[in-house]
Parts: sequence; C-alpha cells; structure tokens
Amino acid sequence: MKSIVLSSVVTALLMFSGCSKDPAVAEDTKAQEVSTPVAQEVQPVATETVSPENSVVDTTDTQTQGLSISEIESKLPTVYFDFDKYEIKPAMQEKIDAAAEMGTTVAKDLKVKLEGNCDEWGSDEYNFALGLKRADAVKKALVADGVEASRISMVSYGKSNPVCTEHTKECWAKNRRVDFKVLP
Amino acid sequence: MKILVSLLVFFHILFASDATIEVIKKAETLPTLAIEDASVSYNDTFKLQFFKSLVADMNVISLFNVDRHYRYTHYNAVNVLVENKDKEYVLRYKMSEDDDGILNVNVKLLQQEEVVFSKEYRISNKDIYMFISHAIAYDINAFMGEPSVAWMKRKVIFTRLIAPKKTEIVIADYTLTYQHVIIKGGFNIFPKWATKDQKSFYYTSLDGVKPTLKYVDVKKGTIKNIISSDGMVVCSDVSSNGKLLLLTMALDGQPDIYTYNVDTKKYKKETFYKGIDVNGQFFGHNKIVFISSRLGYPNVFSKSLDTNEVEQMVYYGRSNSACSVHGKYIVYEARESSNAFSKNTFNLHLISTETDFIRRLTAVGMNEFPRFSADGDAILFIKNYKAQSAIGIIRLNHNKNYLFPLKSGRIQSMDW
Repeated sequence: MKSIVLSSVVTALLMFSGCSKDPAVAEDTKAQEVSTPVAQEVQPVATETVSPENSVVDTTDTQTQGLSISEIESKLPTVYFDFDKYEIKPAMQEKIDAAAEMGTTVAKDLKVKLEGNCDEWGSDEYNFALGLKRADAVKKALVADGVEASRISMVSYGKSNPVCTEHTKECWAKNRRVDFKVLP
Repeated sequence: MKILVSLLVFFHILFASDATIEVIKKAETLPTLAIEDASVSYNDTFKLQFFKSLVADMNVISLFNVDRHYRYTHYNAVNVLVENKDKEYVLRYKMSEDDDGILNVNVKLLQQEEVVFSKEYRISNKDIYMFISHAIAYDINAFMGEPSVAWMKRKVIFTRLIAPKKTEIVIADYTLTYQHVIIKGGFNIFPKWATKDQKSFYYTSLDGVKPTLKYVDVKKGTIKNIISSDGMVVCSDVSSNGKLLLLTMALDGQPDIYTYNVDTKKYKKETFYKGIDVNGQFFGHNKIVFISSRLGYPNVFSKSLDTNEVEQMVYYGRSNSACSVHGKYIVYEARESSNAFSKNTFNLHLISTETDFIRRLTAVGMNEFPRFSADGDAILFIKNYKAQSAIGIIRLNHNKNYLFPLKSGRIQSMDW
C-alpha cells in the first residue's frame, strides 16, 4: 500500500518538473508570503504563434487614393457602448456613417476587422460573447450603409484587451468599445 | 399533533441533506491539533514554508482546530512538547534529504501521545513540496474516516493575462502556490481539462486568422487543432466520458452553445436565441445549464438536449454571468449591487434542484470563476477585494471558506 501510494505520488509529480513562483501560504484565513529560491524552468510546450501585429503585411508604402493603410486606420472611429449593452447609441451612429463613407470611397479596396471589447465586470466567457455582439452590431450598421459584408470580419477579446486598468467608471467606459483594424 | 410532528421530522430530514441549508460546525467542537517539526535537513526558510503549507492543508480539511505555532522536536521523542500536552492530536514530521537529493518526509499522528497513524513520502524535486503536504492532509482526512478530499491532490489550470492580448497558461496546485507555465507566449485563453486524469486539456487560441480550439497532450507535448469558428470558440464543459464537448461558438457571428462529438467531429446547435448564450454545463441526465441574456440580463437557464425547452433556474438577482454544476447543485456568480457606475459586489450563490433556497457562499468583494471540485465537495474561486486577490476554497459541508493570497497577475479563466 505504501509503495503504491509512493509510486503514485512520484508518478503524478513527475509531470511537474518546473519552477515554483510566488508561493503563498496560509495561516487560518490569513497568509504570509515567504520568498523562494530560484528554480529551474523547464522548456514550455512548443507552439508557433503569429501575433496580430505580424499577421498584417506592412503596406505603409501601399497607397490607396493618396492615403496609406495606417492613415486610413487612424481616421476610423472607436465605437463605445453602454454597460452590458450592444446596441449602437445615436451618437455613435454618426461615427459609423463616417466610417462607412470611407469604406465605400478611399478604402473601397480594403477589408476591415472589427474587434469587440468589454469592461472588467462579469465572467470572461459572457464578455467574449458581448464583445462579439458589439462587433456584430457595428458590422450590421456598416452593411446598412453600403459596405459589403464580405469585407468585414469580426473578433472579440472580451476583457483581455483593455486600454486602461483603473477601477473607475471612466476607464470602464473606455474599454466598452469596438475598434476598427484595416486589412489589405 | 402526531401528524404535524412527523411531518416536521420528515421535512427536517429531507432538507438536512441539502447544502443550500447551511450546516454549521462550531469551531469549539473540533479537536485540537498541533504540528511538530522534527526535520534534520534543509534551511530554516524551507522548513517554515513546508510547515505553513501543512498548517494550511490541515486547516482546509476542517477536522481540527490547528495550532499555528512553529515548534521543533525530535522525531522519536516519546512525549510531545510540553506546550502541546493539552492538544488532542499532534502531527509530527521529519524532512530529510538523502544522498540522491530526494526529499523524504516521515509523518506520524499522535493521539494523546500514542502513535495512531504513520507514513513515509518521497519526492524527487523539493520545489514541489506542497504536493506532499496535500498528500499528508488527504491521508489524515482518510484516516479520520471523513469523506474523501481527493480534490486536494488535483491540479488547477488557468490563464494569466500578462499584457493586453498576451497570456500564459499555467498548471498549479489547488492553492496556486506551485505554478508551471505550460503555454508561453501568444494569446491563448479558456483552458479546460479534457480528461479526469488531467493529462490533457483544451484551450482557445486567438493567434490565427480565426479563433481555434486546440487540444494539448501534456505528457507527449503535442498540440492539435479541433475546430475553428469566426468570432469565438470556447470549450465550456466536457462530458464525464470525455466524448462530448459543450462549445460556445459564433459560426455566423452569433454566440450559441453547441455539442461537439470528439469522435465523429460533428457538432449540433443547442441554443437559438438571438442574444447571448454561453457557459454550457452538463447537468443531470441529458440536460445542460447555461448563461443566457434572453431576459435582458445574464441569468441561469437549463435545457434538455433532446428538446428546445428552456427553463429559468434563478429568479433572483440582476446579473448572474457564470456558473458551475455538480449533481443537483449549481453555483453561480451574482452581481449584488445595481449601480453600473460604482464598485460592484459579486458574490457566489448556491442553489439546488431540490429546494427553493439560495445560499450565499461569499460575503464581500468581487468573487468569480466558481468551479466545483470533481467530487462536488469543494468550490474553488477567485476573490478580488480591496486591491488584493486571493484564491478561495469553499468547503460546502463545513460552511467554511479558506483564502490564499494570490500574486499571479490577472486571471482570465480557470478550471479545476
């Protein structure tokens, strides 16, 4: 019995030949942090990633009717939303109309990715869906203004792409948004 | 009169077995326990770390009033230390390092100075000492004849946000003291254990053209793609045999819940509401519980997988945005203040299918990521309160919560 327990403990623990970081210990319901010796870090699982920045081919010397992609992107709006909502506010509709105008003129050969985002409240799975509904609301508004649906893609980042992290209502309002990213 | 009395007795017995009725075990009735260190190797810092881990674990099993004083003795001393003479139990342990660098731990439990339990443990890497501490507490709990606390030995997997759109996926022990980064770099989120033995897991990668669900075999170190979806794809739950997944996908930009068969690779749409349906959890026989905004705010609903009948499960609260299920119990995250523009309180609530009661499990702060242990005995969660974060364990049948300070950065998602 003892050897079975020992071997099962050793087997289970062989998977964790890594380092310990920031240990936290408890006494009753309080705890005191004790510093730990530096431990060896094992190789991470191999992955290949292409970051969103690198996935876009640099087209700064690609001109579109006198404007570069980065210039077009800088003129596109950020659309903001109310708490727990994905409806387009009247004040935001004008911004979307202006974006659609560009999408049918100077940027008519380009594609756009709409990135939905949320403030820090609520579960992230719910917030990913909420961010997506926000992006979808902007997409529908662009399509209604004449931009082809096939040129618009959407993604949500939930609460994982904040522009600020203060716990203030101003910061929360800044994070409840849809960003435009231009693709060639 | 007799009928009334027997009815009262009947109802008491009926409700006494449901955790939505609070079970109070008074601290004064628990036997006292002191812990004596008799280690012959390692420096004082490591000895104190191990002692504190053991104190924490012996507290969490909720069987003793644990004395927190660090005291040293000899392992084979016949008597306990004079300061511990009045303790009903003494747990004495000896750590020693052998010539191969292996950490050995000898443990004995004394009851009124008589050895009633003893065991030896060995571990090759002392940096994972906390797993021995968890194993000791697990064994003492079993020796005392209590229901299993196997969850103490299980691993937690979580995503830590290290910068906007940059994450790490980490595997840890239940206190998050030990942490091992398993996926480094990129934007990878929503990890979910794929099997009971915790040797594989799913996660969502946002690094490609489309969000993609991936499967990792930890032992082999392999990653394979499962399914991609426009907008989002999240694995919310895995069936007990591992063959069926509950996914939240947005194949046409509309987030809904799908069942996905791992063998046939076919999926079936389960929800059809035009708003938000997420966080599906397998529940009972052929049913799911999920979060939906179909009432204008996130709330908890259930649905049969055979029909489209949807039933509201919670009739209280303004925003119930996450849930976890075990047996007849649902724990969910409830917003308890209504002002969207001030600090909010999110508490965890527990309901069951057999009573109308709602039991509040936490008191203050922002409490999120509720996760039942595999056996339903405990709930793991994260608490943020007054600029501090902690990982919490709720022992449902002991009505006690334990908190361990957390310095892991911002946690995006967690599974147990």
